[in-house]
Amino acid sequence: MNGLSVLIVLLGLAAAAPEPDSGAAGEPQNDSSPALKSEARTVARWTFESEPEPGVQTKITFDAGPRPPAYPGFAPDNRAAAFSNGATLLLADDGPDGQLRFAQGDSLTLEAWVRVGELKPGRYAYLIGKGRSGKRGLPEKNQNYALRLKGDAKGPRISFLFASQSASGKPGEWHRWTSTEGFQPGSAWHHVAVSYTFGKPESVRGYIDGREAPGAWDLGGATRRPPVADADDLLLASGNAGAQGNRFEGWLDEVAIRRGLVQPEELKARFAFVPPPPPVSREAVPHGQVLVQICENGLPTANVWPVEPPAATESYEQEAFGFFEMPQKYVDTGVRGDRANPLLLRAAAVVNLPAGKHRFLLRARGASRLFVDGQLLLRTNFPTGDDGGHGKVKPAEDYLDLGPDFRFAPAGEGESWCAFDVAAGEHFVILETLVGGLVGKSKRRPELGETVVALSTSGTDAWQLLSPGARHFPYTDRGWAAYAAERRQALDVLNSRARAVLREAHAPYWNRRRETARTYLAQTPEVPVPALPAGAPAQNAIDHFLAVRLAAAREQVAAVPADGVNFFQGVLPILETKCFACHRGSKVQGGLRLDSLAGARNGGEGYGPAVVPGHPESSSLLERVRSTDPDTVMPPKGELLTKEQIVLLERWIREGAHWPEFQLQRATVTPVCDDLAFLRRLALDTVGVVPSLEEIAAFQSDPPATRRASAVDRYLADPRWAEHWMGYWQDVLAENPNILNPTLNNTGPFRWWIHESLVDDKPMDLFVTELVRMRGSERFGGPAGFAVASQNDAPLATKGTIVSTAFLGIEMKCARCHDAPAHASKQADLFGLAALLAAAPVEVPKTSSVSLDKLSAGGRMPLIEVTLKPGSRVEPRWPFPELCDESLGAALAEDPQDTRDRLAALITAPQNARFAQVIANRIWQRLMGRGLVDPVDDWEHGRASHPELLGWLGRELVRSGYQAKTIARLVLNSHAYQRAADPALRETGPLFVAPAARRLSAEQVVDSLFVVTGKPFRVEEVNLDVDGRRDLKNSISLGRPTRCWMLASTSNERDRPSLALPRVQAVADVMQAFGWRGARQDAASVRDTAANALQPAILANGTMSIWLTRLSDDHAVTQLALQDQPVETLLERLFLRILTRKPTAQERAALVDYLRPGYASRRRDVRPSAASAATRGPKRYVSWSNHLDPESTVLRQQEEVAARRGDPPTERLAPAWRERLEDVVWALVNAPEFVFSP
Amino acid sequence: MQRRTFLKLAATASLAPAVSAAAETAPPLGKAEHCIFIWLGGGMAQIDTFDPKSLGDAKSKPKRPGSYYGSIETSVPGVRVCEHLSKVAPLVDRLTIVRTVNHRVIDEHAFATNLVHTGRTTSGNIAYPSIGSLVAHQRGAAAPGVPAYMLIGYPNASRGPGYLGAKHGFIYLVDTGAGPAGFTLPEFVPADRMHRRQQLLASLKHPATAGSLMADYEQAQAEAMRLAGPGFMKNFQLTTEPAELRTRYGGEFGQRCLLARRLVQAGVRFIEVSHNLNFINGTGWDTHNAGQLNQHILIQELDTALAALIADLEAQKLLDKTLVVVATEFGRPAAFDGGGGRGHQGTAFSLVLAGGGLRHCGAYGVTDELAKLPLDKPVSIPDFHATLHAALGINLAGEIYAGTRPVPITDGGQPIAALFA
Repeated sequence: MNGLSVLIVLLGLAAAAPEPDSGAAGEPQNDSSPALKSEARTVARWTFESEPEPGVQTKITFDAGPRPPAYPGFAPDNRAAAFSNGATLLLADDGPDGQLRFAQGDSLTLEAWVRVGELKPGRYAYLIGKGRSGKRGLPEKNQNYALRLKGDAKGPRISFLFASQSASGKPGEWHRWTSTEGFQPGSAWHHVAVSYTFGKPESVRGYIDGREAPGAWDLGGATRRPPVADADDLLLASGNAGAQGNRFEGWLDEVAIRRGLVQPEELKARFAFVPPPPPVSREAVPHGQVLVQICENGLPTANVWPVEPPAATESYEQEAFGFFEMPQKYVDTGVRGDRANPLLLRAAAVVNLPAGKHRFLLRARGASRLFVDGQLLLRTNFPTGDDGGHGKVKPAEDYLDLGPDFRFAPAGEGESWCAFDVAAGEHFVILETLVGGLVGKSKRRPELGETVVALSTSGTDAWQLLSPGARHFPYTDRGWAAYAAERRQALDVLNSRARAVLREAHAPYWNRRRETARTYLAQTPEVPVPALPAGAPAQNAIDHFLAVRLAAAREQVAAVPADGVNFFQGVLPILETKCFACHRGSKVQGGLRLDSLAGARNGGEGYGPAVVPGHPESSSLLERVRSTDPDTVMPPKGELLTKEQIVLLERWIREGAHWPEFQLQRATVTPVCDDLAFLRRLALDTVGVVPSLEEIAAFQSDPPATRRASAVDRYLADPRWAEHWMGYWQDVLAENPNILNPTLNNTGPFRWWIHESLVDDKPMDLFVTELVRMRGSERFGGPAGFAVASQNDAPLATKGTIVSTAFLGIEMKCARCHDAPAHASKQADLFGLAALLAAAPVEVPKTSSVSLDKLSAGGRMPLIEVTLKPGSRVEPRWPFPELCDESLGAALAEDPQDTRDRLAALITAPQNARFAQVIANRIWQRLMGRGLVDPVDDWEHGRASHPELLGWLGRELVRSGYQAKTIARLVLNSHAYQRAADPALRETGPLFVAPAARRLSAEQVVDSLFVVTGKPFRVEEVNLDVDGRRDLKNSISLGRPTRCWMLASTSNERDRPSLALPRVQAVADVMQAFGWRGARQDAASVRDTAANALQPAILANGTMSIWLTRLSDDHAVTQLALQDQPVETLLERLFLRILTRKPTAQERAALVDYLRPGYASRRRDVRPSAASAATRGPKRYVSWSNHLDPESTVLRQQEEVAARRGDPPTERLAPAWRERLEDVVWALVNAPEFVFSP
Repeated sequence: MQRRTFLKLAATASLAPAVSAAAETAPPLGKAEHCIFIWLGGGMAQIDTFDPKSLGDAKSKPKRPGSYYGSIETSVPGVRVCEHLSKVAPLVDRLTIVRTVNHRVIDEHAFATNLVHTGRTTSGNIAYPSIGSLVAHQRGAAAPGVPAYMLIGYPNASRGPGYLGAKHGFIYLVDTGAGPAGFTLPEFVPADRMHRRQQLLASLKHPATAGSLMADYEQAQAEAMRLAGPGFMKNFQLTTEPAELRTRYGGEFGQRCLLARRLVQAGVRFIEVSHNLNFINGTGWDTHNAGQLNQHILIQELDTALAALIADLEAQKLLDKTLVVVATEFGRPAAFDGGGGRGHQGTAFSLVLAGGGLRHCGAYGVTDELAKLPLDKPVSIPDFHATLHAALGINLAGEIYAGTRPVPITDGGQPIAALFA
């Protein structure tokens, strides 16, 4: 057999005339191969330019092929064939004498241009294969010949496979040769070829991009036996009977089968490749700066490099090649959105280097490459996937260590380094890294980790970040921390500007809304500020309203006979426990309201007045509670009234049923509290922590007459205002992210949106609008995260209950499954609201309705009703026409077609006075300790104690453009706020004559403890996937907390020691004891503040307390104690620092006595922590990817022990005296007054 | 209290039949005073432990579903357990393996863990308390001055108090070497130093007005100081137990069980003990893939500790008043996964009850030949919770108020009547 002519077969179609062949010359212009003499003759060839071509194509599509300028051998419009989902090309065998069969002694060369889409490690993908097509009647091992690619983590290799003929009737053997090298993974085009002479195993040659690739026979061994040459078909991109694992996914061009050996020089010439020009030019880079480009368009979705350098979609500048976070992407009115995933980050700079052989280090979370003057110097690979936790903890000795203070690799970064000779002068450096990408079929979190180019110049051990400017950034642990802190500030500025730009773009709409509000205010009557009753103290309008109400209440109380039944102590508790569940608010059983005298006198259905003052015999209330008929006795469930209670009620009615509106706990208002108490209270209420010594000094240096108002202004302008309100809105909006798989009613981490909204002082109507729109990023901090409620069969109904309580004071929880006995909202109302949020009809879930059987089990008529059948569809509908008319929604919405926009407009319309009042009431409640309507989230069950004041405050909020701080300023400047606390009160009364001391929130306690001790807030990253190996749907990072609202549940439902976060847990333990919830499955407006033993215990002995009460080098009290000052002064400053007051005489005496021994000789001349170098070592880490390795448990337990131990005590203070001071600090932070607002 | 009936006008025909069944028989009430709730996080394979079936083969091709280990006779004729439960086997007459517990959650540990701890699925309206918090709320501590609910394991929301509030939460320790968080003095604060600290603290306290919140806190602080003192903390000193007994309990998990017994004696009402020593086989009870290979070591450790606990409680005359529960979030299928381990199965799995004065029968309920589905007497998670509450003498008809909303003790669960004499 010899084939010296080209064979072109068109199966079932017309056959073209054979074409004389002279190597590659004379073939279509598309061919990249130059005219070189060759002995080889082309047997079959595919260019995918125009049909007809040999064979039958199945599912093949066409795409741009290799083209100039990168591939100059091809035409500018060159096309290639794309193969995916089993696409193939079949060329039938051309018979025993045909050109496709190769016999013993025949030589063949197989060639193709390839671009790989996906090829898993270990898999063999067919490019060209004859035989083994799975055709019936042919033996299984009949591979005539095949060129395949083998998947490998380092990039595809080439492989040649054939089956030898069976010797004496035995089945044939496989013979496989595979190259030991491959080509770089990525989406570039490559030329691959193999040539072989059957019978001469040593003749095998492989070529990649024109270079010979070494290889070996790795299956079946080399053989001199003849190959199988049978009637089976030839296939492109498929083989092994079409097995999925052997399919080629990608693109092919210029595929050829040649008879004879194509010479190496010829193959070398075939691969003409001109690397693309640098994507950024030297001139474009500003002097002394790193130009950073974010490229979001045109990236392949596979884990491959793009063929063409993508253009920048956004750029900014920074000083050095150090990255950990990109600027946020904002959408809409400035809410966090998602960037494209993957994206490419490119950083370029002109760097001046001295001559020498310098060391370069590249570290990155994603695949990355570093070019110096156009030459690829270093690269890191695509990260490996999630291995289900079975990875290994990296041994310490495997960590790269390049110097005495070299920073060891953090978790999850790939790295590479080299020593490189550079000439003196300017060098153009480009770093590219791919962010995000695929893990399995899903996306990886788009994180940069610690992406760094570092440099160690020849002759030195020190490393620094590569930087083009004059500043040097040491790349050490400390150096990186300082650099990162600086960068974070710069990013905050960039982010805040980006938000401002977007908000400005929506200003026309919001200006119209402001105009609407002004018109509304002008057209509706103002609430007049009443005149101040004689003798009442007042600092602003608020005090007028309060004083008028107080005067009226005094008159009512005066009317009650002196020895009569005390309504509040005797009667009200009975009503609260026995009656209010069904007879309070706007929806009541039997039409009877027992929450006011008027209601009780009116009575309910069929029984006449419940209470007739002075006439117990006519009061049906008594009749019902005395009844012995199980069908009529009240209450219908639970314990009946005792005889004593009934007697009391009877006496009360006989005496005239006096029902004063208010209980006067105190007759007179307290005077304003002292200055320091005010300052502590103010700081806690605005910035969430106690005042620092500097803040105290600034306050005290102001003139007494204006210092309080100035302090109010200062604290309201303080950015920590945002931090203080975080925990509150997280609770109210049930922000509930989980750092592992979203499960128990989890949401996205929309905390970041809340925080930025507070930082930006967003007007409350915009805040609500953004929330209700639920746009932006779901998993990375946009309000879309609010829309999520995992494992909840009616997520938007749940969101409906949150929105209605948060902003309208309407409690709808019960309507989730049934109409409530004591709330007006029906199921249809909640689901109508849910449908507005869903922008579509919503189905009532079958899985969580209350069954009628259950309802009626064991009692008389059920108190609840199910009015919506499970499975009913409910259309979008505004369920609160009493608040404002539904038509306002379309009139005010930015997009009237959008039901969410309409809902937002209806909630925030100025005509809906309820909204402004609810917000004003929430601010009032937080500052005053009690709402004007109480409870703040259920206005059906709470009447306004001061309706005029509430109306006035609501209008002030509208007038201010919905600025929360306007209301806060009014309250903080009032006499009412500044009154001294009455230590006898358990809670602040509704007349606000004196505040009760408030227990601090968990956040206030913990954040203040860190402030007073000055200890850095150092906990683990709130993340169980620190190396970023998991699918972004299964893990998120909540970052490294700097304030305690940033914590979350450690989510160790799996109870695995290796998944513990000991330092986070130590802080969370304290917070939980004080009422914080790490998991917020439901919304809450008010926290549990009841005392329990765990609170003082965890402050006394907990791990966090060990950190705070041990005087380490970085403890602020250590610094304080080292200063030259009398011991009395030290004590005074400690008191001010921790308790914001001066010690009393007794305290001073007791504590100075304790501190005096050894005080004079307390200081020791020791340099801090000289020993730290000895303990230097890599930070081995546990992440989800390796948490099942037993070593992970060991590591975590060590971390737990280390957390418990805390930092070593300072050596700069004599130990015996240091312990005395520690004891004093311990006593001060454990003083009960510390956890109360003064 | 007299039985309430419908208002006559409301007693329609469709509602009437429902009244009878539930209301006629009063739920049983047990006499157990304490509960030791052993948690096997990850999902104990019932077919490899308490509900053995014919042997499978993880290595044959194709793999044959079935038990991984052989089974042995127990002290209850006809009830067999895995061969690695040889110490528990003679004590099976003191316990009941509830073999037909079932729920529908399989894909998520946290979800199922929450379900088995709270007896309810999440609603988004309310956070439900764990069984420990609920029992603590209902019955308080069994002795004055000790916590009602303790946990030896990691804190998580499923173990928390939910709407009951922080005061019904647990006090926890992560292992017997650590001591309870908040009550164990730092190692550099010996008792005399703590005494000095407390004196300093006393000098800072100004008498709080009686009945004020500050006074409540001061009282809680006094309570905390007392708990951190030697009286309560001596319970954590396992070294005071006879060495032979400690050995009998086995390793760290056994020591946790021994500590639980001491806490029962101290008056703690409910103790959750976690068996989360995952390093033993890599995966803990979540025996996917290679986690299966050393599963027997986990089983043996459970066997040793559980047998020692039952015997010790009995010897101390505590068994009848201490309900021991072995619980896990779900079971595992008879079939093997690609790596030779097992996936998750919620359709049938085994939970174990011991002691507590129940009428034990060795095993309750029967599953099919692959332990996949209950063949009779299925027990739902609410039923299982109802059984625990009833055993602990908690009135199942009671309701707890979450704010203004009444919440029944269980989600309509019925106790296993056969266990109540």
